[in-house]
Amino acid sequence: MKQSKKGFRRFGIGFILSWSLVPIYWVINTSFQTDAQISDTPAHLFPPTPGWANYKALLIGDGELPSMVRRATINIFIECISATIITVVLASLAAYAFARMEFKGRKFFLFVVVMTMAFPTYTTLIPMYRIMAMVHLVNTYLGIILCYVSGFLPLATWILFSYMQSLPLAIEEAGSVDGASRMQIFRLIVLPLTMPAIASTAVITFLFAWAQFIFPLVLASDQSTQPLTVIVAAIQGRHVVPYSLLSTAGVIALSVPAVIALLTNRFIVSGLINGSVK
Amino acid sequence: MKRKTDFLPYALISPLIIFIVLLALTPAVFTTIAAFFKVQPLNPPTHFSGLENFRDILHNTNVISSLGNTFYYIIIGVTLSTVLGIYFAVILQRRFTGRSILIAVLILPWALPGVVEGILWTGIWDANTGVLNSILKSLHLITHYQVFLGQNKLITILAIEVVQVWQITPLSTILVLAVLQNIPDDLYEAATIDGSDGRKAFRHITLPLIRPGIAIAVVQAIIATLNIFDQPYILNGAASTGNSLAMETYAVSFQNLNFGQGYALSLLITLFTLFVSVVVAKFIYKKVEY
Repeated sequence: MKQSKKGFRRFGIGFILSWSLVPIYWVINTSFQTDAQISDTPAHLFPPTPGWANYKALLIGDGELPSMVRRATINIFIECISATIITVVLASLAAYAFARMEFKGRKFFLFVVVMTMAFPTYTTLIPMYRIMAMVHLVNTYLGIILCYVSGFLPLATWILFSYMQSLPLAIEEAGSVDGASRMQIFRLIVLPLTMPAIASTAVITFLFAWAQFIFPLVLASDQSTQPLTVIVAAIQGRHVVPYSLLSTAGVIALSVPAVIALLTNRFIVSGLINGSVK
Repeated sequence: MKRKTDFLPYALISPLIIFIVLLALTPAVFTTIAAFFKVQPLNPPTHFSGLENFRDILHNTNVISSLGNTFYYIIIGVTLSTVLGIYFAVILQRRFTGRSILIAVLILPWALPGVVEGILWTGIWDANTGVLNSILKSLHLITHYQVFLGQNKLITILAIEVVQVWQITPLSTILVLAVLQNIPDDLYEAATIDGSDGRKAFRHITLPLIRPGIAIAVVQAIIATLNIFDQPYILNGAASTGNSLAMETYAVSFQNLNFGQGYALSLLITLFTLFVSVVVAKFIYKKVEY
């Protein structure tokens, strides 16, 4: 009986590891092969002649492909980092008000926040494009960033709100007895205590922004602002691009979120739980 | 002692509210109204057209077939991700060495962009270079390479949906695990004394108690599968086999440039999503007391 329980867990661990890692290993494996090697039967479990040729072809040089990929990499960093900073700052201000202040309409506004979290992509995609076109923000960083912030702000506010609400009030009351203003209490007491939730929110927002595809596809028709995801899809859409280069582009686009996820998984898990339990 | 109106909280939430009003509520209202108008940038003028968009949408064979396809995506995706999510959560329920590393590895697919996942799984499903063909051939299960994507509708949908299941299962696992870890150990000890084995304990203790976690996991899976776009866009490209509703909405709006019909379709899907989410949540979600 004890033995079968151990076997059950051991099999499960093996299953989870291979389920998550095999597809990722495989794309890394092919990114170090030539196209002839990728087409060999049976497939090579390891790159026979590993080298950086594919990576050089995509990242270095003056060709159209490398300059596209470099531009898109810079774009995705600009868009994700800006969206993350703006989202976290605005969300923590709003969450503080919701968690620690009494005001008319508090419940109503909270309800609106939760409701917008349930909006599917569909509801906003086309009108978002039309609005951005109207104010001339198509093909600009600002358009994409504003779109991301509006998409992620409700969830970010919700995560920070539920965390701040769980903080003990005693410390803040001590602060207000000392005559500190509410914004001083926010800066000096609440914010430092909320740091774990802020880290969760920042990581989740960044990863969501990095994964966006259909919104930037619609809002950026021009390569000057297209993020890496859109460029990877564009490369894939050209049938002349071989799978060796395509898998390399995939590895480049997944390396950043993969490293972040591995390093910050604790924050991600607690953030996801805080954000969903309702 | 009541003070006059306190402006600070309103100042703090105003940026949030402005974003929600301008870029979430306005678009939603816009969609709702414009669904009843003829909006075609290449064929002006825009005018009120009543239910015409809805009628056209429901007579569009591509939309109807994508509706059927999306139904398959939802059934396959929700079932697989929920079953796997529960299984993974049970494996991770108790502490053991390396558990936190396993959780880190588990959430990896959740963190990756759908587009990139499409590229990853191309390397597995592809008819010429895919590793699955190579494995099946080495095992002598097939004599020549098979085409998995774009020919048989159900196989195409299954292959694409597996990719999405790969992405959403981590979240299902985490949601179930969060509830699972709150189950007190003495419940299991009592069950052992009663002589029930692991399987019985799972059926009679674990499963009923994790219903709230399963409910949230199912709702998020429904929303994700109903919106599936990135994976079929990459894996199946222009082929219409296995087209999803989201791809059809995109095609109607941005390829046919018929925004009115796009709004109508978006509106129907939005209402459907909200309806299904509420019903499922009500149906599975019951307050649990230990």
